[in-house]
This record gives sequence, structure tokens and C-alpha cells, in this order.
Amino acid sequence: MRIRTAGVVAVLGLALAATGCGGGDDDSSAPAAKESAKAPVGGKLVIWADDKRTAALKPFAEKFGQENGVTVEVQAVSKDLQTNFVTASQQGSGPDVVVGAHDWIGNLVQNGAIDPVQLAAEQKSGFNETAVKAVTFNGQLYGVPYAMENLALIRNTELAPEAPKTIEDLVAAGKKLKAEKKASEILCLQSGQNGDAYHVYPLYTSGGGYLFGTAANGDYDPKDLGVGKPESIEAFKKIAKLGEKGDGALKRSITAENSIANFTSKKCAYLVSGPWAVADAKKANISYDITPVPGFAGGKEAQPFVGVQAFYVAAKGKNKALAQEFVANHVTTPELAVALYNAEARPPALTAALDQVKGTDPDLAKFQEAGKNGQVLPAIPAMATIWDPFGKAEAAIIGGADPAKTITAAGKTISGQIK
Amino acid sequence: MSTSLSGPGAATQSPGREPAGPGLPGKSRTARHRAPTTMTGLLVKVVLLGLTAGIAIWAAFPLVEAEKWVGLAPLAATTAGLFYLYLTSRHIPAKYLVPGTLFLIAFQVVPVLYTASTAFTNFGDGHRGTKEDAVVAIQTASVKQVPGSTEYALSVATQGDPATGPLVFLVSDPGTGVVSAGDAGGLRQLAPADVTVAAGGKVTAADGYTVLNFGQASARSQEITDLVVPTSGGALRSAGLSRAYEGKAIRGYDAGCDCVKDIDTGKTWTADEEAGAFVAPDGERLAQGWKVTVGLKNFSRVLTDPAISGPFFGTLLWNLAFAVGSTGGTFILGMFIALALHSPRMRGTNIYRVLLILPYAMPSFAMLLVWRDMFNTDFGLINNLFGLGVDWFGQEWSARIAVILVQLWLGYPYMFLVATGALQAIPKELTEASSVDGASPWQSFRAVTLPLLLVALSPLLIASFAYNFNNFNAIYLTTEGGPFPADNPSAGATDLLITYTYRLAFGAQGAQFGLAAAVSIFIFTIVAVVSAVSFRRTRKQEEVYS
Amino acid sequence: MTSLSGTPVGGGATSTAPAVNRNAGRRRNRWFAQVGWRHLVAVSAVAFSLFPILFVLSAALNPLGTLSSTELLPTGASLENFTNLFDRTAFGWWFFNSLLIAGVASFASVFLSALAAYAFSRMRFSGRRVGLLSLLLIQMFPQFLAIVAIFLLFTTITDLWPAIGFNTPWGLLLLYLGGALGVNTWLMKGFFDTLPRELDESATVDGATHAQVFFRIMLPLVAPILAVTGLLAFIGTINEFLMANVFLTNSESKTLAVGMFGLVAGERNNNFGIFAAGTLLTAIPTVLVFQMVQRYIVSGLTAGAVKG
Repeated sequence: MRIRTAGVVAVLGLALAATGCGGGDDDSSAPAAKESAKAPVGGKLVIWADDKRTAALKPFAEKFGQENGVTVEVQAVSKDLQTNFVTASQQGSGPDVVVGAHDWIGNLVQNGAIDPVQLAAEQKSGFNETAVKAVTFNGQLYGVPYAMENLALIRNTELAPEAPKTIEDLVAAGKKLKAEKKASEILCLQSGQNGDAYHVYPLYTSGGGYLFGTAANGDYDPKDLGVGKPESIEAFKKIAKLGEKGDGALKRSITAENSIANFTSKKCAYLVSGPWAVADAKKANISYDITPVPGFAGGKEAQPFVGVQAFYVAAKGKNKALAQEFVANHVTTPELAVALYNAEARPPALTAALDQVKGTDPDLAKFQEAGKNGQVLPAIPAMATIWDPFGKAEAAIIGGADPAKTITAAGKTISGQIK
Repeated sequence: MSTSLSGPGAATQSPGREPAGPGLPGKSRTARHRAPTTMTGLLVKVVLLGLTAGIAIWAAFPLVEAEKWVGLAPLAATTAGLFYLYLTSRHIPAKYLVPGTLFLIAFQVVPVLYTASTAFTNFGDGHRGTKEDAVVAIQTASVKQVPGSTEYALSVATQGDPATGPLVFLVSDPGTGVVSAGDAGGLRQLAPADVTVAAGGKVTAADGYTVLNFGQASARSQEITDLVVPTSGGALRSAGLSRAYEGKAIRGYDAGCDCVKDIDTGKTWTADEEAGAFVAPDGERLAQGWKVTVGLKNFSRVLTDPAISGPFFGTLLWNLAFAVGSTGGTFILGMFIALALHSPRMRGTNIYRVLLILPYAMPSFAMLLVWRDMFNTDFGLINNLFGLGVDWFGQEWSARIAVILVQLWLGYPYMFLVATGALQAIPKELTEASSVDGASPWQSFRAVTLPLLLVALSPLLIASFAYNFNNFNAIYLTTEGGPFPADNPSAGATDLLITYTYRLAFGAQGAQFGLAAAVSIFIFTIVAVVSAVSFRRTRKQEEVYS
Repeated sequence: MTSLSGTPVGGGATSTAPAVNRNAGRRRNRWFAQVGWRHLVAVSAVAFSLFPILFVLSAALNPLGTLSSTELLPTGASLENFTNLFDRTAFGWWFFNSLLIAGVASFASVFLSALAAYAFSRMRFSGRRVGLLSLLLIQMFPQFLAIVAIFLLFTTITDLWPAIGFNTPWGLLLLYLGGALGVNTWLMKGFFDTLPRELDESATVDGATHAQVFFRIMLPLVAPILAVTGLLAFIGTINEFLMANVFLTNSESKTLAVGMFGLVAGERNNNFGIFAAGTLLTAIPTVLVFQMVQRYIVSGLTAGAVKG
């Protein structure tokens, strides 16, 4: 009995050793793989994107492939797309085209991971001016933009029929709703335990703060860091008043995961978010309106960041000519922009595409209005040093820490990391 | 209390008590010579070695094809080594160790050694490749369209075979309609009668040329990208497969001065081999740098930079506490429950076991995210369920308790399972004997069960300690290291050394792999010392019980 | 604890009427002391184990499922999230890939580490303890740093042998086998150590070869721990994410962990309901495997062997 068990275990082990080493199927799979690599006459174009965009791109890319006799593969990298793209490209196993936010450009360029794209003048003029500016780095166009995004104030019109002119108005109205038990929060502006620099930025600018000064040529200047300067302290003093020890409008418990959900479940009447939040609001049957993020009374304008999503040509792709062709001459057509808009409702960067969808979607114009005075998200590599310390300082101040001390320390950390 | 029980315990254990250790090798060697090789054994050996040879030959073909003789040598050596090892009757331990070790070396040791070697370089964003890579990137990035130049419609053609013939650009000027053919020798105009031009200006056919379609052209992508047609103002380059433009590289590398020159402004950036970057006299650096060896600079930075070394020991202390707490907590809880279920009179153990194992069966990253949300101050399940208002992740100690609690939940099923397996392996006579002797369950547990469990599990506890010491996800997906003191955003209350290193490496202006590798080597040394010391203690146990 | 073995002498014949009650009470006490407390412990442990999972379940059944809107108890019973999971994602493929990779990897790694553990436990050779320690230490190097080296390695492999390169389950499998020895060997070695040496020695004296001792005597005796390590390796592989994420980019070649992470990682999106549904389904193969190996874990083969 025992010996039989042993025999079974032994045979099992051997069988597994054989399959486990991949030995059993070498003969069949190796030639097959070789053939499939050689099969297409034309080249192969590999595109990397995040999950959502992969789904939207796939049909379009397949069509492009069929029409032109090439193979197109769209692959999703779920986490750390940018880092993995840089690492993979450098080793020569990267894609030909990558899709991502424009603030990657600085880092991608310093690693020699992407090539400039040459667009004809008339192609360029078809795009929103801000979008073109966003993907221009050191005077070169590095990507072809397809969508733009910025924050706005989304409010539940049942609870709050009037758009607030200032943050103070918003807080007053929110407190009233809270007192009447119609909402449990004044405002849903995500922060989380470690802050969210992107979402608090409009308030920061309205309070007078800035991140980088501008150099003579209009680019951001990493040598002129605004964090830790007196203006930034003033701005955060105002933000502190909205925090947990003040009005309670800003809270660390409102996070990226729950802020939109809180809005759609009517826990708050005001939400600071972007075009990506609209689909959820619609799904939950909330009647909403979109207006610019209000600033402090008597303060400066509240300027949200304007971000652009773009296609880039990998510098070490295996099929650069085809990649250039795809990015420069096919991404610039309205059809793709509309398809991507249908996958996720962000305003297309291509004016023709925007005009096409604007009629059916009034929200787009409202988001554009809210982003009219926005600032292009800095693409310089130094921006990477901002996010973490700035966000943590924000969270600490919302939680009641001393603004001057906190923001000075954040400024020091950031400047220590800028090369 | 142990005195009363040591008797029966040791007596039943008598099979293992004989001093077998030192005598074994000699005995087994003599035995081996006597043992006849069985048919099955021989068959298995032949089949496995045949498979090995097959795999080696399969793997060799591409190497030969690519003429990678450097790769072929270790392959041949490994295969020969394997044949020798399994055909000889010597080196018995190696026969058992080599299969796993081969994989270990190829996929763990080699990557780790490679990574450790980067600690002596400035490897990181902006310094990833070679100097040549950087020069190519600088030149490519500086190609600009000549102002006011024409945008051409492009067709790629050849005068020979579509797959191999020399490439020619057929370009048509949209303004004048003039079609020219260009290659490395320059542009020459073609007679309008010889060409067919489509509506968009693209040449679709030309006498003496075969126009390539996209499929054919894209198969020769590299050649197309490399083809530059010199013109008076600069050079004609392809922008994709259907447009060409006249462009000029503004910056070029000059090997004479080892510098990059800007043709427009005349500015030069000289190569700095120590920094791995081109630097201008005014201190401006070009973004594209390259990887250079920096010696011990990263190590000295770890020791001298107050931002790195300052929080190091506080973090280390908590890191040890976290690892001990997670390992100890899960072990005690898991063992306790295993003991509770370990009774012949207990019914429903199967269903209990399945339910208890569930936390371990759920994807851990998903559950970490769920737990993070459950600890939310205002909306979290825990505060809502118990009517609390604790700012869990906002205060040092509550955050620490919370992350350990999460670890407990995630990890105790593992310990439960392992302890269950270990309990089954403990001979019943031992516990029976002790209870016959009138020992209380607690006494018999302390004197018999626990020591035996520890023999089986102490290596595992060390392994678990080591795993938790570097448990990146446990912190990164919950608190991200927070809460952070208001005046120091670089080291938080729940930061482990590894999350702290991660922030150091990736939070700066681009990833700094070199620095991160140096910090990792420091951490590695600490863990190695701690583990080696605790490992020495297991030697005693091993000798006692084996 | 005291009451367990205690047969108190005191009770006796002082009064008979309450004695009946006392006996019943004592029996209940006795039951509680021997079995009851065990159920109490088990039930509370199950409660601790299940409540976060219940939360996930209720999110999976709630079509508007988001983290914050979900309550502990299911508020709806809609399978929309489950159908969406299959319609919108390549979940079937992910599931298949995970089963394939985790299945093969766990079997192979159990086998490889059992071989090594046998050598570490039963043989004495120079470098034994150093080898054991290095096995442990090598696992401690941060993996996120080694990714660069792994890209380098597998780029070459993909060029030469596409069948075991990027985007293939075999390549990932090889990578996982690199870690096969690690913790598993430690765990098994501990168990081999608890087996009396006389077992294999007497077999050796009877003329068995070392291979026969290993396959015919040792392996059956450590079946419980083979089952445990196999299960742990299975779970570990199914949950592995860091390497699989860089390794598998084709939607159809992804594993559950990678594919599922993509559902929630998408920039600021709210797929939590679908994600929760996927999380639950992911647990199914593990539970099934557990069911399969459970009888080995609890059968107490070893105890029997020692007796005989």
C-alpha cells in the first residue's frame, strides 16, 4: 500500500518534472512560434497603453492593420506603464508606440525613450493650442495629443441649485446642507492620508501659490521653486482654514477611491473632479452641472492643471517608420479621437473631433470653460519631485499641522531632489 | 513542569535518538555500492537525460544561428555537467540540489548580482544607456524642420526586389507637383510622364520603380528611418511612410572635442565622464546622459546624507518590530487555532479549515486595498461598525496597530495550515504518553507539542520573518508609509526600509537605481546578519532533534 | 485548563438531587472543556476571517458597487458584475493562464524543493548550512530593483527562444521556478528533520538506493507537507503580481492578478464591483485545490508510519 503510493508520487513527480521543464512541448511549440513570427509579410506595430485605452484602441488599431497589411498589437500594462516602458525600451523589448499623459515627456526625453514627431503645419493647426503646447518640450513636438482634461466643480443641482462664486459661498452652502442633514460632507475634494497635489492645486493657486516660475522662453524654470516661498505659506494658511480643524470642508478621509462614490451616493453636493467622474454621475442618475472650481474670496483665480493624453513614438522601437506613420498620420484623424472619446468622455484635443461630439455632450464645453484659465501641467523632470512631498504637506496641513513649518520642510525636501 | 514529562517524551522519541548523524554518510556509501540499479530507475534516468539533451539541442540552434558563442559555452557546459552528475555514482547531494539550483542561479542569483553591481554606478533615469545612446538621442531630438521648407508626399520605392532592393524615396511637391526620386546620393527630378500621382499627391507608380505598400515598407522600417536624402538646406527625412520633410539636426557630436555643438547658437556641452552628462561652461546639462561608474559614491551618500541616514535607525527599529510582530502574531494565532481544531473529537474541521483558509486564497493586493478602505476615518467599515471615530492611519500608533492587524488577517491562515500539517506529523504516542502521565494539556503542549512544532517550523519562522522584513505591499498598498511628521515627508511612522528605499529611488527627479541598490545592499547586510545569528541558534535544535 | 483532566473527588454522596444537575452541568462543562471551546475558537476565527470577505461579496453583488457605498451585508443580489467581468474582460483567459501557470509551477516547485530538502536534511556535505542560509538571503533582495535585470535577461531569451520569452506562460514559469527552492525548501527540510532517521537507515541497510529511499519512503511520509507546500506555492503563484505585470502584456496571456489589478488601476476609475466579483472567483481554484489536498494534510500518514 505504502509502496504503491510511493510509486504514484514518483511517477507524478517525473511527469511533472518533464512538463515543468517545458521539455514535453518544445518540439511542437518552437517551430510554431517561429512561423507565426515570420507569417505577416508586413511589419508589426506594438502599442502599449493602460487598460481602459487599450480597449478603445483595439478596434481602431486592428482596422489600421488590416487596411495596411500590417499586424498591430495593442497591449495593456496595468501598473507603472511609464517606468516599464522606459526600462523595456532601453533593453530593446519595448513597444513601437506608447500612450500616456504629457507630463511624462520630460522623463521620457531624458532617457532617450521617445522621438520627436514631425507634424505638418496644417495638422498642427487642427489641434487645440494648449494641447500642442503641452506636448512641446525643448521646442520639439514629442507626442500627438488626443484628449485633454482638467478639474471642475461638479455639483448636484438638486441639493445645490446655485453655482458658488467663491469657496466661502460653497462652504456656507455645504454647511447648511449638512445642518439640514441633506448631505454629510461639505465638499468632496479628494486628499487621502498622503494628500493629492493635483486636486488641491486650484485652491493653492487661488491662495497665491505657484510651483515653478517661468523662464524667459515660457518654459517652467526648475530653479525658481515656489513651494516653501511666502506665497505658498499664505496659500496653505487659507487651505488650513478649510481643513479638519477649521471648516471641515477638506478631509483626509476623502480619498481617490471614495470621493466620486460619495458624490454619486449624495453624501456631498459638491465634487471637485474631472471628466472621468461624469460617467458615474450619469449612471447614478444625479442631476448635475459643471462650473469652474471657485477660488477664495478676494484671492486669485483658481487654476486647475490642464493635462493632455498623447501618443508617443518609441525611440528604440523595432518599427519606427510605421510608428511614425501611425502616430503622425492616423492618430490625427477625428475618427480615432471620437472612438477614444466614446470609451471615456474626455474632451478631444482635435478641434474637428471636439466639434463632432460637442453637440451631443454639453459637458465638454463646460469642462473646457473650467479649464480655460488652467495651467499646463509641467512636463519638466523636476515635476516628479513635487507630487509626493507637496501632497503630504497638504495632508498634514488639512489635518491641522502648522502651515509655515510644514510647507517650508516640503520645499526643502523638493529642492534637495531637484538636480 | 517539563521535568515530569521529559521521560516519556524522550522514550517515545527513541528512534531518532541514536547518534545517526555522523555515521550516515559512511553507511549510505557502502549501501550504495551494494544496491542494484533497478529497471525503473534506469529507464527514468535515460528518459530524463534524453530530455535534457533534447532541450539543450533545441536551445542551441538559435544560439548557433545568432552566432552567440558566449551563450553556447555555458549551455554546453551545463548539459555536460548534468550528464556527468547523473551518470556518475558520486556527488549524491548534488544530484538532489542541482535541478532547483540551476533555476535559482539563472533567474534569481544572476539578476540580483546584476542589480547589486549597479550600486557602483549612477544608473537611473537620464543615465540608463551608453554614451552612444545619449549622443544618438541628442541628435535625433534636435532634428527640426527647416523653416519655410516644403512638406512632401512620400512613397517608398525600390528599383529591385521589394524585400531587399535599395530603397528610394519618391517625393512629390504638393505646390508644384514635381516628383523627384531621392536616395543617399541626393534628389533627382523624374519626368512627369513616367509617374502616376494619386489625388493626395502620393506617387502610386513610377517607371523603373516598384512602389512598396505599407506592409512591404514597414517590414523595412529601420532602413526607411535611416535613409537620409541630402538637400541644399539640410536633408530629406521620412515622417512615417507617407510624408517627408526637410530637416536639419541642430545639435551634433564632435569626437574631436568630445562635445555636443549647437549649430544655431554655437553653444557647446562637453562630456563629463564622471557625471555621465554633457555639461556647458555655464553649468547647463543636457538631459540625455549615460551610465558611468561612480565608485562608492552611492554608499557614502547613504551614510552621510542626513535625509537618508537620519531616519534610518528609527525606521530599522520599527521594521524589526513589524517583522517580529507579523511573524509572531500570525504564528501564535495560527498555531492556537490549529491546536483548537486538532482533536479527534472535533467535528466539522473540514468546513472550518476551508473557511479559515479563505483570507489566504483571496488575492492579497486586493484585500490590502479593501482593508485600507475599511480603516477610513469617516467612511470605513471598522469605525462605522464599532461606532468609533479613530483616525487610524492618521496617528503613529494606531497606524502601526492597523498594519499589523491587517498582516495578522492575511498571514495567519498560512501559519494555521503549516501548523496543522506539523501537528499531524507529531506522533500521537508522544502526546498520549504525556497525558497518561497525568500532565495537563498546557504542560504537555509546552513540553512535547511546542518543541516539536518549533523544530519543524523554526526555519519557516525565520523565512517568514525575512519575508515580512521586506513586505513592500503590506505597507505600500495600505498606509504608503504614513502618517508622516509634518516637517519630514520622506520617512513615515509605518515605513519599512524597503518602502523608504522605494520612495528614495523613485520619488526623486526620475528613478535612481544606483542609489536604491546601494541602500538595498545595506539593508541586505543587516538582514543577513540578523538571520545568520538566529540561524546559528537553529543549529543547536537541529543537532538535538536529528 | 484545570478542569480538563480533572475528575474532582469532592462531588460525592453529600446530596443526590443536585448531583444529577451537577452531573449534567459537569457533562456540559466537560464537553465544553474538550470540544466546545474548540468550536468557539473556530467560530470566532471564521468570523474574523470572513468579515472582510463578506464586504467584498456584498460589493460584488451590488451593481453600483463602489468601496464607500458598500455595506457589510449585501444590499442587492445582482449578477451584473459577474456577467460584465466575462463580457468586458478576457477573464476566462486570465483564469486559464493562472491555473496553468500556478498548477505547473506549484507541482514543479514542490518537486524541486523536496529534492533539495532531502539533501539538506539527510546528507552532510560541505557548504550545507551556508547553502541553506544563502537560499534564504537571496529571497530578501528587493524584487522591484531586480526588474531591470529581468528585462535584460528575458529580452535576450525572447530574441533567441520566443517560445519561452515575454508574453508566454512558459517564460514566466521558468522565472517562478527560480524562486522554487526558497522558502519551500526550508519548510520541507524542517519536516524531513522530524522524521526518525532509522526509517531510511534501515531501508538503506536493506539495500535500497538513495533514490528509492527518497521516492518510496520519504516522499509518502511527508505527504502532508508536500500538500501544504504545494498549496502555498499555488496560492503564491496565483497572487504574484510584480513580475507577471512586466512579463505579460498581451491581454490574452495575462494572469488573474495582473488582469484584475488592471481593473482597479485604471486612472481614477470605479470598477470596484467587477473587481470584487473577480476577486471572489479568483479564490475558487484555491479553495478547490485546498479541498483536493486537504485529505493529505489531515490524514496523518506520518503518525501511522512511525507506528508501523
